[in-house]
Amino acid sequence: MTQIEFTVIEKIILSLGILITFASFIYEVWRRLRIVFKGKQSFPLDRFGARLWRVFKEVFLHEKVIRGRFWPGFMHALVFWGFIVFGLVTVDHFALGFGHELMNAQTHKLYSYIVIPFSIFVLIGIGSLTYRRFISRPKTLGKISPTSGFVALFISILMITYLLGETGLSPIVWRVNWWIHSLIILAFLFLIPRSKHLHLVLAPINIFFKPFDLPDHTPVNIDLEGSEDELDAMLADLTEMTKNQALDVFSCVECGRCIDVCPANRGGGLLDPKNHFILDLRQPLLDKGNVDVLSEINVEAGWECTTCQACTEVCPVGNQVEKSDEIRRLEVLVEGKVPQEYQKLFMNLQESGNTEGRTDSPLAERLPTYSPDKEYVLWLGCFARYELDPNFTKSVENFANILDVAGITYGVLENEHCSGDPANRLGDKLTYNMLREHNMEQLAHASKVVTLCPHCALNLGKEYAKYSEVNYDVTHHTQVIGQLIEEGRIEVKKGSNGKVTYHDPCNLSRMLDEVDAPRTAINATTDEFFELEESGRNTLCCGAGGGLWWKKETTGRTHLVRAEQVVNSEADTVVTGCNFCYGMMNQGLKPLTPEGRSEIQVKDVADIVSENLVSNSDTK
Amino acid sequence: MKIAVLVKQVPGSDSPLPINSNQSWLDENGISYVMNECDNYALEEALQIKEENDDGEVVVISLGPDRVQKVIREGLAKGADRAIHIQMNSDSIADPLSLATLFADAIRDEKFDLIFSGLQSDDLGMGQTGIIIGEMLGMSTASLAMATELSEGIIKVKRELEAGFFQWVSMSLPASITIQSGLNIPRYPSLKGIMGAKKKEINIVTPGGHDVKQSAKKVYVPQSDKQTVMIEGSVDQIVDKLVEAFRNEIKVI
Ligand code: HEM
Ligand code: SF4
Ligand code: SF4
Repeated sequence: MTQIEFTVIEKIILSLGILITFASFIYEVWRRLRIVFKGKQSFPLDRFGARLWRVFKEVFLHEKVIRGRFWPGFMHALVFWGFIVFGLVTVDHFALGFGHELMNAQTHKLYSYIVIPFSIFVLIGIGSLTYRRFISRPKTLGKISPTSGFVALFISILMITYLLGETGLSPIVWRVNWWIHSLIILAFLFLIPRSKHLHLVLAPINIFFKPFDLPDHTPVNIDLEGSEDELDAMLADLTEMTKNQALDVFSCVECGRCIDVCPANRGGGLLDPKNHFILDLRQPLLDKGNVDVLSEINVEAGWECTTCQACTEVCPVGNQVEKSDEIRRLEVLVEGKVPQEYQKLFMNLQESGNTEGRTDSPLAERLPTYSPDKEYVLWLGCFARYELDPNFTKSVENFANILDVAGITYGVLENEHCSGDPANRLGDKLTYNMLREHNMEQLAHASKVVTLCPHCALNLGKEYAKYSEVNYDVTHHTQVIGQLIEEGRIEVKKGSNGKVTYHDPCNLSRMLDEVDAPRTAINATTDEFFELEESGRNTLCCGAGGGLWWKKETTGRTHLVRAEQVVNSEADTVVTGCNFCYGMMNQGLKPLTPEGRSEIQVKDVADIVSENLVSNSDTK
Repeated sequence: MKIAVLVKQVPGSDSPLPINSNQSWLDENGISYVMNECDNYALEEALQIKEENDDGEVVVISLGPDRVQKVIREGLAKGADRAIHIQMNSDSIADPLSLATLFADAIRDEKFDLIFSGLQSDDLGMGQTGIIIGEMLGMSTASLAMATELSEGIIKVKRELEAGFFQWVSMSLPASITIQSGLNIPRYPSLKGIMGAKKKEINIVTPGGHDVKQSAKKVYVPQSDKQTVMIEGSVDQIVDKLVEAFRNEIKVI
């Protein structure tokens, strides 16, 4: 390695350069963070250890970056790991400029054995990313971005100059090389905060602070007895982003993975979560210097969202992408602009406490009534109670049969109202609060609640708890069934359902984080289980979520995309764990199944288990 | 511009309809009530006219027992300025003429420029009340409005005719118009509207009595039964028997 003394002038120029670019870097980052800190609520710090572990997995191991898109993700990992290796070298680089290098020749030499291969990895990585950005250009990346070009160029020059620096250059060439390298670093520093490349600073922070709960919608408390000023303050509050949400907007790396997984977008809808829920808010935040920008979200796009949280699940920089709740509640509570079919739905909920405006439920009458001596409240939900798909009543009775065989006592509430999920997801928080308060009263003496509807389970549990303390435990029926099988309290034999697959309901897999119990149950009944391509927490929504079950006209085919995948999977039986998914599959599969192919059976987990139950009375 | 909107509270389309024990009318306890669908459009039309002209008053008027205050509140929450509630027990079902008399008496002194009402009610479907009131108060009248256009003292109304035809009529004010569903996009009450509605005035009118010209003898659910007849024989015989049945038994050909 060449050893060189820098002149005073060089040192001054270098100092000025570093000072100016650092100052500008810090200023630009600060400008954004100041806006972030104006956000509502504070950054969550609960489960500190789990947060650090998540940073390790998702930042250092690049788990999501690679899982989402293997090759581009891996190439990116090369760049990222290269940068970490280079971090130390860089500090040393500038220290050298002042004649105080940190590493002696020996260490430097040793370290270069690591750095040199990495500089080549980085070159390969950045080369492939550039190929993707400028030559293969997948649609979701959006328009060609000049900053991507600059960054790729900068990083390549840095690597090349580094490699040159490691060869025995003549002092003058080495000096020129050193300066190119330095200036590029400074230029890079200048560019970072002004572009999506800010993600390299913010992604780790954002991943650390990302809330654990899905969906992370803030509760809306409405006091109809309060003063007008209080109401105005509450409504103004609805337009403001939380700190987490504002940080998301500046962390977005514009990769478009959220668009790739979005069922509304894939079904041909207008909704583009990357732009509508994230990037459309970036400039308004900077222009206003404040966080009251949620009304900028595209309304039409907001009504298309199924609130499936696939976008949030996939985002590699830790964004909670989905913001349909934010715009819908503004439309409903502030503007009073609500599609007619939803107005009817809300009226039904207010008048009769259920989505259909009904008063009688033959299913509820057939089942035992809850009394405090019984172990479980069997929560039906409107879908089962009012037969939104008449076949599903059979699934409820199958689950009741399983409980009977296991000797578990249960009963339904006479005065069960809608859990409020459609009102909650469609923005009518007033109606939601009304239903929630009614149900909390009905459940006041319950200790365990079990339901077949993941939407109800989510609301009765996590969502209600955002408003007031919940004193009962909510379980999904697949969890109860899974446990009964594991504990040997019911015995199940292998049945004949052909090739069996499982469609993970979004609310169960992503929001309630339950992917194992249904599989335990299904695997007990079949040897021919296989996974769909998009499964587990990376499932694809059936299209009914977010109140879309009640939507009359859909522009796209959001409700058919998943059914189509099931048809193409060669399954004989598709099992699911959600009444809405069950209904969507029943509606979608038949018209999509090609002629000559036998009909695909749709079953709930309760159906497939109950049908294969060995109900020998000596087990209990 | 002073606009009256007549709204009726009717059983929701998915509500059960239990009949009371003496079979005189429905058992109201088992019914979930909503605002009559086209009245909701009539209200929206009135609110839009008021908002476009930036001045005026929209008054919601309903007739019935206390429960109808629910739809009155809904109207106020959506933006009507005040309301009149004509109190009447629901067991005295009346004919359109006596109902219209009650309305006309209650609002004669208000001198409304416009009266909007729904084309017909979703429960009894008489479709006459709005027009009779207009006649009683000496106003122009039009039914089945699909659009309205207001200009100096004149209202143009697009009326729906048969077979996809329309008719535009120009009428002088004051006018009473019955509104067809679908001519606008009704709003949903905003939170501010709901809070504000509490402070708005509901003027309760109790009519002395009215002349009932028509009453229900007995209310009952029509008997429905299904009869299946298997027709057997050769194709020709089946066809003959079918034609015979269509002609003489079911009398459809
Ligand atoms: C020193 C750290 C990092 C560097 C130098 C870096 C650099 C880059 C570069 C150059 C791109 C290409 C952007 C373009 O041309 O549009 C990129 C994209 C990306 N970066 Fe980073 N990044 C760093 C850290 C991170 C971290 C910590 C994460 C997330 C955990 C991350 C996630 C991504 C993702 C998801 C993309 C888009 C890849 C795609 O197209 O799917 N990066 N990054
Ligand atoms: S929640 Fe689902 S439907 Fe909504 S934007 Fe995200 S991916 Fe699309
Ligand atoms: S929100 Fe996340 S997934 Fe979507 S474009 Fe931005 S970084 Fe990518």
